[in-house]
Amino acid sequence: MKKILAFVLAACMALSLAACGSAPSAESSVPAPSEPASSGEASEPAPGAESDLEYVKANGKMIIGYTVYEPMNYTDANGEFTGFDTELAVAVCKKLGVEPEFIEINWDTKEVELNAKSIDCIWNGLTIDDDRKATMALTDPYVVNAQVVVMKSSAEYTDTSSLAGKAVCAEAGSAGETTIAADENLSQADYISKDVQTSCLMEVAAGTCDAAVLDLTLASSMTGEGTDYADLVIKDRLAEEYYGVAFRKGSDICDAVNAAFGELKADGTMETLAEKYGLSLA
Amino acid sequence: MDVSVIFERLTEAFWLNCKLFGLTLAFSLPLGLVVAFGSMSRFKPLAWLSKTFVWAIRGTPLMLQVIIIYFAPGLLFEMTPWGSGASGRLFACTIAFVINYACYFSEIYRGGIEAVPKGQYEAGKVLGLTRGQIFFKVILLQLVKRIIPPMGNEIITLIKDTALARIISNKEIIMMAQEYAAKGLIWPLFSTALYFLIFVGVLTLLFGWFEKKMDYFHV
Repeated sequence: MKKILAFVLAACMALSLAACGSAPSAESSVPAPSEPASSGEASEPAPGAESDLEYVKANGKMIIGYTVYEPMNYTDANGEFTGFDTELAVAVCKKLGVEPEFIEINWDTKEVELNAKSIDCIWNGLTIDDDRKATMALTDPYVVNAQVVVMKSSAEYTDTSSLAGKAVCAEAGSAGETTIAADENLSQADYISKDVQTSCLMEVAAGTCDAAVLDLTLASSMTGEGTDYADLVIKDRLAEEYYGVAFRKGSDICDAVNAAFGELKADGTMETLAEKYGLSLA
Repeated sequence: MDVSVIFERLTEAFWLNCKLFGLTLAFSLPLGLVVAFGSMSRFKPLAWLSKTFVWAIRGTPLMLQVIIIYFAPGLLFEMTPWGSGASGRLFACTIAFVINYACYFSEIYRGGIEAVPKGQYEAGKVLGLTRGQIFFKVILLQLVKRIIPPMGNEIITLIKDTALARIISNKEIIMMAQEYAAKGLIWPLFSTALYFLIFVGVLTLLFGWFEKKMDYFHV
């Protein structure tokens, strides 16, 4: 028995040493989204024109920088390159009379690519913020995302202060969790982390949590009439963010794309696409 | 990330596994005996009811039972008896574990009781003991001796089953480790094995000691 005990303890020590040793290398690195684009286009001479739109039209193609990001730009099960942004960009390019050319870029160097003219725009679920407005020309927002507060329809809610001291859940590591931590009232709530967003809905429906903070698109497709969670409603929108397309600073393509968005909204194309990919239009 | 902080948090989380383990044992061991008596009852409807219950509990995953016990009252009757907060979650989980393990234990008890030779009962009767006296003074110790190995099996399974508590967001050790895994730090998840290994190691020694203790007792 003593021998066995000694062996077990030795094994434990060996294991724990191994565990310690691997600690630093196990630290995560942000996954690199993609390879940088080929720089072949960069050397193409700009025809000196003031108008960016003229430049693109003269080239006959618009080079669109993207990273693989479902449901915006990705390759589907059939090996076909698709996504909300992919289909929308194709539709807009058709209106502008140019060919779209998709190039996978490195998200960290997207501004450099844009200014070097190796791409003409960044069209990849780009969140509009003030920093980006200062360095690039951004279109009107076309898609909205938000973290929303989902509760029972009968529950009382005025603002997040109604939830102080109540039980609130979100997916571990999600944007909803960040939103809760950042909100002065929600951070005072009794926080429960779940492994997936959908189990948060069950918590609220069962009354074991008072509210859940979830993605707008997920919450709007899974709650309300005709769903299993007919009793749940979106009570509030927090941390709203809008997606836009980025062009070079001062580019006139921006206005042309905005106009194209207007037309595609009017004829229902965008609505159909948004439904197909489960997004909410801005 | 500081290694000692991580182990401190893992240890804290493992305390919840230990609590669930202790509470489950404390309640399911006696409850199991009650269920065993039910299954062996000469009153047929009771035996039938008890056997059906054991079938239903042993026939469905414990994970599902935890989910049902915790969520079903709120989903079906619009009221949840568990109270909010972490203690309500542990409470609901304990109930589910106690019911589940009582059913497994009841079958081990039944096997143990039925394995005691009939002569032991008859001898008790000849001596003029009542049924209760026969059970507690003659049968029980023989029963305990017989069921130690299968009980040991179940009890070792129990500590590992406590990891299921995270399905209703009880922050037990695996859930704590997954919090780190979600951030890209994966060694805490694998090192949780140490806690279970040490716990089961101690249990094994304990059972071995107990078995030896009961060794003098020959039938």
